[in-house]
Amino acid sequence: MEVNLTLNGEDTTLTVDQSDTLLDALRNAGYTGAKRGCGTGDCGFCTVVVDGASVKSCLQPVARVEGATVETIESLGTQDELHPVQAAFVDNAALQCGFCIPGMIMRVTQFLESNPDPNEEEIREALSGNICRCTGYEKIIDAVQDAASRLSNERAMVSDGGRPVPSGQSCVDCSTCSGGERE
Amino acid sequence: MSRTEDGDEKTTPDGATQADAAPPVEFEEEANNRKKPDERTAVSSREEKADARKIVTGEAKYTADYSREFPDLASGKVLRSEIAHGVVREIDTSAAEEMDGVYAVITPGSPEVPNDPYTSAGQSYPEPSPYDLRVLRERVRYVGDPIAAVAAEDVVTASAAVQAIDVTYDERDAVFDAHTAIEADAPRIHDPESVENHQPGADYERNIEAHAEGEIGDVDGAFAAAADRSDLTVVETEWETPHQSHCVGEPHTTIARRDQDDRYQFITSTQVPYHARRQLAQLFDVPIRDIRVSKPRIGGGFGGKQSIVLEPIALALTMATDRPVKLEATRKEEFHAMRVRRPASVQVRSVVTDEGDLEAIDMSVLTNSGAYGSHGLTASGAVGKKQLAMYTHTPNIRLEMTAAHTNLPVAGAMRGYGAPQGHFALEGHMDTVARELGMDPLAFRSRNLISEGDVDVASSILKEGDGEIKAGGRRIRSCGLEECIERGKRAIGWGDVEQPDADYLHRGLGVAVTIQSSGVPNDELGSAHIKMNEDGSFILQTGAVDIGTGADTAMSQIAAEVLGARPEDILVQPSDTDISPFDYGAYASSTTYVTGTAVKKAAQDAREQLFEFAARMLDEPRETLTAHDGAVYAERTGESVSLEAIGYESIYGDEKRAQVMGEASHSTPESPPPFGAQFADVTVDERTGEFEIHELVYAVDCGTVINPDLAEGQVTGAMHMSYELAVGSGFSFDSDGQPDVVGFGDYGIPKADTQPPLTPIFVETHEPSGPFGAKAVAEIPTNGVPPALTNAIRDAVGVRVDNLPITAEKIRAALDAT
Ligand code: FES
Ligand code: FES
Repeated sequence: MEVNLTLNGEDTTLTVDQSDTLLDALRNAGYTGAKRGCGTGDCGFCTVVVDGASVKSCLQPVARVEGATVETIESLGTQDELHPVQAAFVDNAALQCGFCIPGMIMRVTQFLESNPDPNEEEIREALSGNICRCTGYEKIIDAVQDAASRLSNERAMVSDGGRPVPSGQSCVDCSTCSGGERE
Repeated sequence: MSRTEDGDEKTTPDGATQADAAPPVEFEEEANNRKKPDERTAVSSREEKADARKIVTGEAKYTADYSREFPDLASGKVLRSEIAHGVVREIDTSAAEEMDGVYAVITPGSPEVPNDPYTSAGQSYPEPSPYDLRVLRERVRYVGDPIAAVAAEDVVTASAAVQAIDVTYDERDAVFDAHTAIEADAPRIHDPESVENHQPGADYERNIEAHAEGEIGDVDGAFAAAADRSDLTVVETEWETPHQSHCVGEPHTTIARRDQDDRYQFITSTQVPYHARRQLAQLFDVPIRDIRVSKPRIGGGFGGKQSIVLEPIALALTMATDRPVKLEATRKEEFHAMRVRRPASVQVRSVVTDEGDLEAIDMSVLTNSGAYGSHGLTASGAVGKKQLAMYTHTPNIRLEMTAAHTNLPVAGAMRGYGAPQGHFALEGHMDTVARELGMDPLAFRSRNLISEGDVDVASSILKEGDGEIKAGGRRIRSCGLEECIERGKRAIGWGDVEQPDADYLHRGLGVAVTIQSSGVPNDELGSAHIKMNEDGSFILQTGAVDIGTGADTAMSQIAAEVLGARPEDILVQPSDTDISPFDYGAYASSTTYVTGTAVKKAAQDAREQLFEFAARMLDEPRETLTAHDGAVYAERTGESVSLEAIGYESIYGDEKRAQVMGEASHSTPESPPPFGAQFADVTVDERTGEFEIHELVYAVDCGTVINPDLAEGQVTGAMHMSYELAVGSGFSFDSDGQPDVVGFGDYGIPKADTQPPLTPIFVETHEPSGPFGAKAVAEIPTNGVPPALTNAIRDAVGVRVDNLPITAEKIRAALDAT
């Protein structure tokens, strides 16, 4: 069967099996950033954003995303131009094996949209559905805090009429523009 | 610390006196190995992890992500035993075979399935573990034993086919508890005739996989003396630890195929590509050269992927279908059909003087190997000998260990390798002794602990096992334990605890000192090859297996430090048995210490060659050259030539052309221990037994830190696992041996909101035998949380929990019993 959706900003038709989950369909179509860690909704490695909400794609029958807007890790930055959340994970060394990271980043991206200035407790709570076996979470929490301030700087500059920080760059140690020190 | 000199009179287990045989304190070290922090350019810096950007963009490829490269890929599924013990009397695969989309169904009788026994323990050759496994089994010994396997066009079809296989069993009595299993009348699990077991003390009449004992001094004599003397105290304790799952992020996954050269190629999530290649070749009677194992990105290993579990089944399916086959474990299979940390029961007895000097330690260990033997002798031995090393000054020490078979999941290697179980027992015991004597637990430790310059003979107390430290013991050339204790005390606020206002809440602090090794002494080989490109960058190949730790990045920093290059100019290739030099693999905390030294030597070899070009280009003697900041400098003139210029000259120069290529191997009898001190700060509610951990602090001496970001990640990640062992681990089974824990939802893995804050502290020492002074760090922080927590709870409310996991109910029950 076929499913029509907006995938990473493009109108897309996926050819799928009726029994496929969204995770199956994405991975079969080459979007392998989302990982399978359990298939039962417990690890969060398969997290993607559907219509603005973070969703465990292993639990989502693909038929249900007909007409939906789906974003995967592939929609964020590139290695040269990282999205601020990705850059925060890199700069805070908030990753080891990396298997949990695409799902973690999708969860964080969506979470910071709903809560742009979270405290540590809120971050921990927000990530409680995303397991990480390698890091002990400490650096991930740091990265989320850092990502929140990068994003809010970005927004502040835009509303200022100033130049937005290009994604993937921080205002610190950057010589692209004259202003833009981080507050 | 106080008792350094006593040791010199003591005899080793081999009867030699230490004064005769102990390795010297001095270690011949190359001049460039010891650099002050401000002299280091690449080492000790927070280099970005080499694969970080591909990870955060989702481009990093793990085994399953390669599926799309093989259009005719078949999906495999394994039929696993539904009973704990018995024999498959009949197996009817006809319905499965007739299903559309099924390519092959294999059973123990299929021609592709080898019938010889093997071991899944990915150890060096000859493996100490017994050959007691068959790829597919008629005789089943636990719920999860593989009986048959299917390859089909997709996973759904393969799963349906597996379900369509009809199995009739003859059930036998099963045994699940290690103590019961070694009773004379327990059901027998293995037939000695069909097993090859070279481990000492194996006795299949009593389900004993291995048994070993060792003694230093005269332990019975010390206890007899204590019975008569009032200035000697005897303390006896008992400890229990449960199963723990590695919970690797990426489930075990493998893709096997036959290539156009009629060779078998694997892309597989393994920690041991070379051991896997050798063991598969031997098992399937294929020449080693006809197997190629490549390791892509790995989603965590922690010892779980040292086992060769899925690869043999995938190869048999590939042979049966002549297609590429992918096998991917489900999370349920991860929990009970891959490998687990072995439960242990440990008894500790000791004799101590009124002043707090240990006179004798007697330790007895019984572990539950589960249905098959892998790492039984070595990991069970490690439950004792690893941490006894810290108390090596004790004149009389005895260790006895038994690994028992039961009809439960198979134990294997797991981060810490026996030491987490052993630390819980020994460090809990030491705390008990200190309290019995009315001493501060750290004051008591400091009278007895090992320190720099000492000889450790206790860790060679068992003569059997892999990689023994040779007679004469192990000289400790770096030990920052005292400072770890001091820094940790300060961070946690030792001796300065404010009690909560509510009178039912009690706050307490606990500590455990910890130790590990850096690789298996006398049983490692790491090698490296580095070649220079004309732009002055380098390609580094090692067989070292980066399973997510960042080992590749650490290797590039070591090479860069030698070559005066930037770490990002050293490109590290993932291990591939056709291409990379040999390596034993990622286990036993060996990579930085052993392979790192090979990398350093190979880089030095390359540097000699590039100095030859530089000497000619600068017209200066090569002895006066130094490499830093991407160039080679002449001492006299200060002139330099860039690595890029040297690169072009070496390949396109007019005078001499030779590619700069360095290579080296490293193998060593040394295995210097890292040390550390774990602290826990807890408040217990005496009404309910509920407890809250405010902070876990771990101060570690791992020698020189190669990359602080990566090392911190190792420490916090390992503390997370240690915390899980303390409070969340444990499997339960029903009375038939069916596992209750089949998913993350049933298991106590700490999440972001349940994991207490973790604080790592680094105490830098210099280990002369390690690359730029480095020792290991990956495993040691898995050892400390269970004992530090039980000690903290004892401090808070006066009761002790001696069996893991620690729960509110157990604390409450202990309080009720007082
Ligand atoms: S794979 Fe979806 S939550 Fe684990
Ligand atoms: S980085 Fe390995 S699971 Fe999170």
